[in-house]
Amino acid sequence: MTTTAAAPEAALGVLPRADGSANYSHAGYTVTGSVNGPIEAQRRDEHAYEAHVDVVIRPAAGVGGTRERHLESILQSSLTQLILVKNFPRCLVQIVLQVEDSPENDYVNTKLVQASLNFAIMPALMQTAVLALLSAGVPMRATATATAIAVMRQEEGAPTLVVDPSTRAIETAQSAHVLAFTSHGGLLLAESEGDFTVKEWDSVYDTAREICCRSAPTKEGMEMVLDEEATRGPDMRQFLQSTMEAKVAKDLHWK
Amino acid sequence: MAPDGPLVLPGETIDPSLVPSHPKNPLRLGPGLRHIPPTDIVPTVAGQLITNPVKNSMWIEYNSNRYIPSPNDLILAQILRSTTDAYLCLITPYSAPATLPHLAFEGATKKTRPQLAPGQLVYARITPASANRHMDPELECVSATTGKADGLGPIGVVGTTSGSGSGSTGPGCVFDISLGFARRLLMARSREDGGVGVLEMLGGEEGGGLAFETAVGRNGRVWVGSESARTVVLVGRALQETDRAGLGMEGQRRLVKKLVREMK
Amino acid sequence: MPREVDPSLNEKQFVTQALEENLRLDGREFDQYRPLELTFGEQYGVADVTLGKTRILAKATAEVTVPYADRPLDGIFTIATELSPMTSPSFEVNRPTETEVLLSRLLEKTVRRSGALDTESLCLVAGQKCWSVRVDVHALSHDGNLTDAACLAVVAALRHFRKPDTSMDAGVLTVYTPAEREPVPLSWLHSPFCVTWSFFGEEGETAVLDATWLEEQVRVGSCTVSLNRHGEICQIAKLGGTPVNAVVLLQCTGVALAKVKEFDELVDRRLTEDLKRRDKGGFMAELRAENDR
Repeated sequence: MTTTAAAPEAALGVLPRADGSANYSHAGYTVTGSVNGPIEAQRRDEHAYEAHVDVVIRPAAGVGGTRERHLESILQSSLTQLILVKNFPRCLVQIVLQVEDSPENDYVNTKLVQASLNFAIMPALMQTAVLALLSAGVPMRATATATAIAVMRQEEGAPTLVVDPSTRAIETAQSAHVLAFTSHGGLLLAESEGDFTVKEWDSVYDTAREICCRSAPTKEGMEMVLDEEATRGPDMRQFLQSTMEAKVAKDLHWK
Repeated sequence: MAPDGPLVLPGETIDPSLVPSHPKNPLRLGPGLRHIPPTDIVPTVAGQLITNPVKNSMWIEYNSNRYIPSPNDLILAQILRSTTDAYLCLITPYSAPATLPHLAFEGATKKTRPQLAPGQLVYARITPASANRHMDPELECVSATTGKADGLGPIGVVGTTSGSGSGSTGPGCVFDISLGFARRLLMARSREDGGVGVLEMLGGEEGGGLAFETAVGRNGRVWVGSESARTVVLVGRALQETDRAGLGMEGQRRLVKKLVREMK
Repeated sequence: MPREVDPSLNEKQFVTQALEENLRLDGREFDQYRPLELTFGEQYGVADVTLGKTRILAKATAEVTVPYADRPLDGIFTIATELSPMTSPSFEVNRPTETEVLLSRLLEKTVRRSGALDTESLCLVAGQKCWSVRVDVHALSHDGNLTDAACLAVVAALRHFRKPDTSMDAGVLTVYTPAEREPVPLSWLHSPFCVTWSFFGEEGETAVLDATWLEEQVRVGSCTVSLNRHGEICQIAKLGGTPVNAVVLLQCTGVALAKVKEFDELVDRRLTEDLKRRDKGGFMAELRAENDR
């Protein structure tokens, strides 16, 4: 297993006029997200028993197309599972995700005007949305963490897994997978592209689960964790925890 | 002060030893917690768990910007328009309007009810019966038990004379603050418990005894009124800056002194 | 989408009353801008402008395409301004509001029609191949004065942008990838900026710069002057019904020139800083190390 990216970075409350907002960058992707809600839903989106979750994804350049609509619908159904929508009947929770930066492939001149978002951006979108929701204080069932994994198949021997693959790696990979887990350890989202075997998917699942759901290190386990840090890839849950800790500490400075 | 608990994230399990257990009183859950029968208590927001063993209550302390109506909260609403028997009011931007019955004012009858223009501000209470998630919230400007206004009603009334209370201070202005800061300002002992002394300082020694009135709404809006526009601006800026920068007592004192010097 | 509600009567009256006493709600002078910050992204052509609580992100991109049939010698240059619900929940995707239309027209007149970008330089093969340069303007946060911030972001993004290098060899056009050849900057002729005045009072006698969202909702009229640091005016748009005295307008353009010079300096300074940052460890850094010794 190899990983190509540095640790994720996030800032909360970056947009002063939104209810909640977050800026998240990881593996070359930078996304800013805003959350407004619960607000009044339009008649056509109104649901008598629960809040409607609206996800809008905007590419950095060019107009959004079917690709964005597809990603929106995936995120929409995942996030509806997380948000306690039943608490706010006839309301709307609006999540806008603005892509700011995505890694460029230096070896190709891409067609930019009709930009189509990359598959691998999904973890960044998901993570931004979750952070923005937490920043807005929207009641949620659980938090979630996400990651992308590419399977590179060699001529011989076992396939290697690349965590947070670069655009170039995705192009050459046999298959690419995006997985998200809730903080309870449940699988929230699984999207795959390319050819893969059940065995490969199983190992992808195990790796992703390890990255997303590793429980926070306990005091006794600390030393062991430090030793293994280098080989285990980013720890998404720990990242979420420390980001939120900083936010809460800032909010409650007067305590 | 209640003992400070750990940081929690939505969906985390709360250590059962932290849940207060009072022999007689029922356990009361405050904001940010939900009960999943039979025994699970789960946080729904990120914040700090606070427990009060005496009152047998627990809640999550956190800060946000979007106000969710809850019974008996004092809020600063804005009249949108009048229907046959009620005013429709805005509590927070983009949310569904709340209703304020024409007769929910002190001594109001069909003939004497106050005539409020769209855009007028009212200081009101969310009625205990409403704030149900399936209903739009209902407001009142009169206490149901005493029949008195108790400081509620239209504020900073301009042009009309029907308003009660603070008509003489001019229109005043509204400033947006975070919900957590509004809560701290409304605490009975805001200086000791909430760590806000900025208003006292402005009216006291540091501010040179400025004369002003405030009405703090739990919905994150503060109305500041004074005969002098300069004072209104000064108080508003002091409040917003204290909230934005998260100033402590010493910081607030320095800010007040700086602003008073600047705006001389 | 939910409607945008007008500010309360109290706010409306107070803003006007305070302005009569030479006061603004945030304590600024009438001709003072809010703190203005400009940063560039990791990629070329990304500019992030913060003006108080207003924040604009502009991104420039380029691709090779076919020129318009009636302008075979010109490249294509477009500015796309779409306000998303991120700006404010009252904006809806694909349903332009008045704010959005006015903003995009002003940017169009200021940057595109004033010839800031030399479109002829974008032509690769006459009538067959040309560059299409596009700037996407994203308003992340709206607290008034989107125009001035957006214009600054567009100009900064275009000046920061590098398009892939090309060569013509025996009628064959080659577009080099960034790995093969360092991308090249656009041919930029002049930098126009917008300065927006808001007018208050019965006869529009009070003029303030860089209005906040609340001030914008209360003002009786506004005037956007676009000019470059040489004082060459690209356009003047006077919006709102209240007539404004010609002398007041003249004074306004005078102050606008001073502000534009400040903007120009800011963009220049940030571009230089960015260049230095990108050159870290490169040729420049080596030179500096020697000088230290």
